[in-house]
Amino acid sequence: MNAPLPAAVAAPFYQAQGDECRLFEAAWQQQLPVLIKGPTGCGKTRFVAHMAARLGLPLITVSCHDDLSAADLVGRHLIGDGQTVWCDGPLTRAVRQGGICYLDEVVEARKDTTVVLHPLTDDRRMLPIERTGELLEAPPSFMLVVSYNPGYQHVLKTLKPSTRQRFVAMSFDFPAADVELAVLQQETGIAESQARQLVTLAGQLRRLTGYDLDESVSTRLLVYAAKLMMSGMAPQLACRTALAEPLSDEADTIAALLAVIDTQFPAR
Amino acid sequence: MEDIVGGWWDKLVRRAAYRGHPAAAVELESIAGQAPLFFRAMGGDPALVLRSTVGTEHGARRRLLERLAGTGTKVELAWRDSQAFYLPDKLDLYPDAALNRQLYFWLMALAAAPVRPGDWLKRNRAATAACLAAMPGLALVYQRLVTGLLPMRPDPARLPPSEAAVERAIQAALRQPEVEQILPPITQPPLPVPLWLHPLPPTVEQAGAAAQNAAQNPQGKRPDQRSGRRRYRAQRVAQDERKNGMLLVFRAESLFTWDEYVKVNRHSEEDDDNNGEAAAEDMNRLSLAQDADTKSSKLKFDLDLPAAAYDDSPLGPGLKLPEWNWKQQRLVEDHCIIKPMLPRDAQPAALPDRLQPLARRLRRQFQALAPERVRRSGEASGPDIDIDRVIRFMSERMSGVAIAEPALYQAWPPGERSLACLTLADLSLSTESWVGEAGRVIDVIRDSLLLFAEALSASDDAFGLYGFSSIRRQEVRLQVLKDFAERYDDTTRGRIIAIRPGYYTRMGAAIRQSSRILLQQPAARRLLLIISDGKPNDLDHYEGRYGIEDTRQAILEARRDGLLPFCVTVDREAGDYLPHLFGHRGYVVVQQAQTLPQVLTRLYAGFTR
Repeated sequence: MNAPLPAAVAAPFYQAQGDECRLFEAAWQQQLPVLIKGPTGCGKTRFVAHMAARLGLPLITVSCHDDLSAADLVGRHLIGDGQTVWCDGPLTRAVRQGGICYLDEVVEARKDTTVVLHPLTDDRRMLPIERTGELLEAPPSFMLVVSYNPGYQHVLKTLKPSTRQRFVAMSFDFPAADVELAVLQQETGIAESQARQLVTLAGQLRRLTGYDLDESVSTRLLVYAAKLMMSGMAPQLACRTALAEPLSDEADTIAALLAVIDTQFPAR
Repeated sequence: MEDIVGGWWDKLVRRAAYRGHPAAAVELESIAGQAPLFFRAMGGDPALVLRSTVGTEHGARRRLLERLAGTGTKVELAWRDSQAFYLPDKLDLYPDAALNRQLYFWLMALAAAPVRPGDWLKRNRAATAACLAAMPGLALVYQRLVTGLLPMRPDPARLPPSEAAVERAIQAALRQPEVEQILPPITQPPLPVPLWLHPLPPTVEQAGAAAQNAAQNPQGKRPDQRSGRRRYRAQRVAQDERKNGMLLVFRAESLFTWDEYVKVNRHSEEDDDNNGEAAAEDMNRLSLAQDADTKSSKLKFDLDLPAAAYDDSPLGPGLKLPEWNWKQQRLVEDHCIIKPMLPRDAQPAALPDRLQPLARRLRRQFQALAPERVRRSGEASGPDIDIDRVIRFMSERMSGVAIAEPALYQAWPPGERSLACLTLADLSLSTESWVGEAGRVIDVIRDSLLLFAEALSASDDAFGLYGFSSIRRQEVRLQVLKDFAERYDDTTRGRIIAIRPGYYTRMGAAIRQSSRILLQQPAARRLLLIISDGKPNDLDHYEGRYGIEDTRQAILEARRDGLLPFCVTVDREAGDYLPHLFGHRGYVVVQQAQTLPQVLTRLYAGFTR
């Protein structure tokens, strides 16, 4: 998971929704850390991967969890052939290589991680490694990117204002219908008519967010549905498995979602 | 004998004349659970609620048998207005139950489509075409519905020329909704089209008047759930000026129209039987007139203060709290007096039976949330040695980096989640308003508090429950339902059951006092959950901007102190002012008040995940 991705020859596909690519590039040139906000599955991770490849930088992605500590990011000593070996953590590696370190869902990480992030995110751009006594200075090409998913469901888990003040921030949302259409076709090779139906369906389901569903259907789920359809599965079944079941556990809600799906892809 | 034979004949001929298929009937109740979600997904306004229609007279040509039986004069059609969307109570148009069910979904999709200009035919045709173009799956359903419907329509060849032209236009519009049709002048109303919306739905003003009437009648008996969803065509008429109305001296056989408004000289009777409801069911049109006396007349006025004997039991003389004056932009010290109180005559009580099943489910769900004792490594002391850390420590020491005070033990300390939640419920008089089938807002709040408390007591998190109302700044009443220190048991349950609506909403003072209580809790995260049904207001200048600004200040203070304020409201207009008070992510509006208990518990589970 934390292995460095070699700079890909071809950048992974990403359909720009606005100025985000230019913004990201400008932030990288000015050595500013970036904060990306957006709902699940709207393309945050893909965007970072795409930008890393475009800028020709190594990308190191860390999915944060509630037990991720500063030591997990910085590194630790391991025992090797009769001696101890210092092993860099993902953040240290990114600083040394001068690449992009992407902390996904950063609000999940333990609070002590902010201690190592703060000196990296202001004009010092330093990473002190306590255990080896080393003080790393980040090269100009190093960039820190963090992301999280705001929403009232996560009221108890947000970034501290003192942390978020250190980033330039971008807000992501699900793409507009025609952009999403292009994404689906590009990602899965699905026919345009079916892709259009899927996008219309997504629009219908997204109207329910906040009323009947906590989270709305993501572009990622749409891609899954399209992939299932491309593998020869009946569209209705594909939508049921990829769109209705992942969104709710309540029988009534699922039945209603199926009725909505029926309006686009009827049972044969 | 004549009566009996007549009854048989009536039954027989009615059955023979009936056009539906009772065996394949689908009831609205069977899809009521899915209908609102489907309607919203189709683009319908989320604020609209589902209701059932009653038959309206269509005035179209009937078949001989129907004329003989005296049936077939009414039809139930779907429509939508600014309050609700209306669907027939029962559909039995097609011999196949699946098709009748699909007809419901089709009608909802059509009702959710934006209203288009033009006459009845044009509106429905254009909406149909739009739905079909957007939803290929629905188009298949529509094909099936139309194929089944067309044989039931009259044959234009056998109709008089003017009617035949109308019928032809209708059938063409049904077959090819994407092709423009012109509605010929109508002489005789055509047979209604059950696939389309109501040609002349009752207008908005009438619906509004009916709703107002329902709201003004809180004392009235609650009709049973089914008929609560039913709605009648109504007209407003001016009250007959004559003091004494017509006196029915003899039962005139010539009185045929029994829905015509006539003032009759008699008193309103107070009978509880369902005659009125049954009559309303049969009437084509209800006449509503403002009358001087109403059934169950009651006198209602606001006494400034209740008599001491009837008031809740105050606990102490009260505490002085500041209030924010936005005109002066300063905090006025000791401006309000808050009085903690216990609800009067609260008897210890068990959880009401009707809430038991849901409470059981919630308890199970929240037990899973309870912080588990997990093994934690890296403790300075503990019952076990942390082998990994010992190895790492040894290796680091061998590499020459000295680390002081290594934490080399494992322990099972109590779970990390330390969360205290204070719930503050608005108990002002506005919570007495009616929210449909679930009863009054206060009933919903009471149920929510009970269920929420059941859930929280299962989760082991510290929690307190309070309610508030106010009468000017001298008396902000804080009802102590459950203190943090108290156990949640039958005594506290009894207090929750005893809450009553009263007085006004001085929210700022209540929030300040709640914050103080919550701040004394030792938890790491402290959630201040406010259940409200409207803007802050009080009898004095505490309304509008003043109330909002004071509440906002109280919330900002709470935030500064490290509390997490969050608001759950049933006020649909809350979007206008709550972002200013709680921030965009700091509140949630419950569209259907009756779902408040579920929303509250789901919210809490989501927060603490």
